[in-house]
Amino acid sequence: MAAEPRPPAGVAPEPVIEWHPVPWPHGPAQQSAAGRHAAAAALSSAGSAERTVPRDPHGRPCFPRGFPGSISHTAHLAVAVVVPGAEAVGADIESAAVTARMAAFVLGERERRTLLPPAGEYSPRELFAAKEAAYKAMNGAGTPGEFLFWRIGLSRSGGTLTASYRGVRVPLWIHSEAGHAFAVAIRR
Amino acid sequence: MSDPRAEARLRIRALLVDIFGGDRFVSGVPDTASLREAGVPSTALVSLLVAMEDAFGFEWDDEVRPEVLRTIDSLAGHVVETGAVGTAGGR
Repeated sequence: MAAEPRPPAGVAPEPVIEWHPVPWPHGPAQQSAAGRHAAAAALSSAGSAERTVPRDPHGRPCFPRGFPGSISHTAHLAVAVVVPGAEAVGADIESAAVTARMAAFVLGERERRTLLPPAGEYSPRELFAAKEAAYKAMNGAGTPGEFLFWRIGLSRSGGTLTASYRGVRVPLWIHSEAGHAFAVAIRR
Repeated sequence: MSDPRAEARLRIRALLVDIFGGDRFVSGVPDTASLREAGVPSTALVSLLVAMEDAFGFEWDDEVRPEVLRTIDSLAGHVVETGAVGTAGGR
């Protein structure tokens, strides 16, 4: 089983985070099932009586009212994050390499200059995960229209990484460990 | 091959096979299935878009519509619209 990274520090309000290994052969079906297991555990820990997470017509997970959450997985590890009372939650875990070309594709010039080393402290994989997490938080809370996750802008101010898209702003928390980047976005 | 869109679909599938390291997963994804819903991770999708730039010799427009990126077939349709099928760099 892949090692579980610790949750990002300082996330507020405090999320409930549960992990579940993805069994062999680590395909989409196993990843999805592991995500549902993690979601059920997170909902249970958060105090929800409802612990199933059906999908909407677009394939997005539908968490019970009052217990917004998000699911993410790699080929070996699934995670679910639930934040009772929040408006929407996005989580993303990435273990794949994010090449320089990929970083140039998903990050704008200003993001690369200010957030990647040497000026910034984030890795391409962390920023990729951050945009995915923010996209889930925004897309799960009725942001009008379909959009591409890399069009979300990232900026850092006062020690906080913030995602923004068309006037919607979402704070982000990131932690990297054991070859994984784990990002959480919470709309309050 | 006489059908440019079909040729583009085959070449996009070949790129996906490279990205996934085999065709076990890719062969189960229909041409018109949502790549996201089929289980293609976002990192693989971005890898594919970058690989398509190299293979077909074009650059993605910043304003590309999300629906263009939804399926193998919609991606192939975009390639045909750009006139990129048959260009150098293809396999």
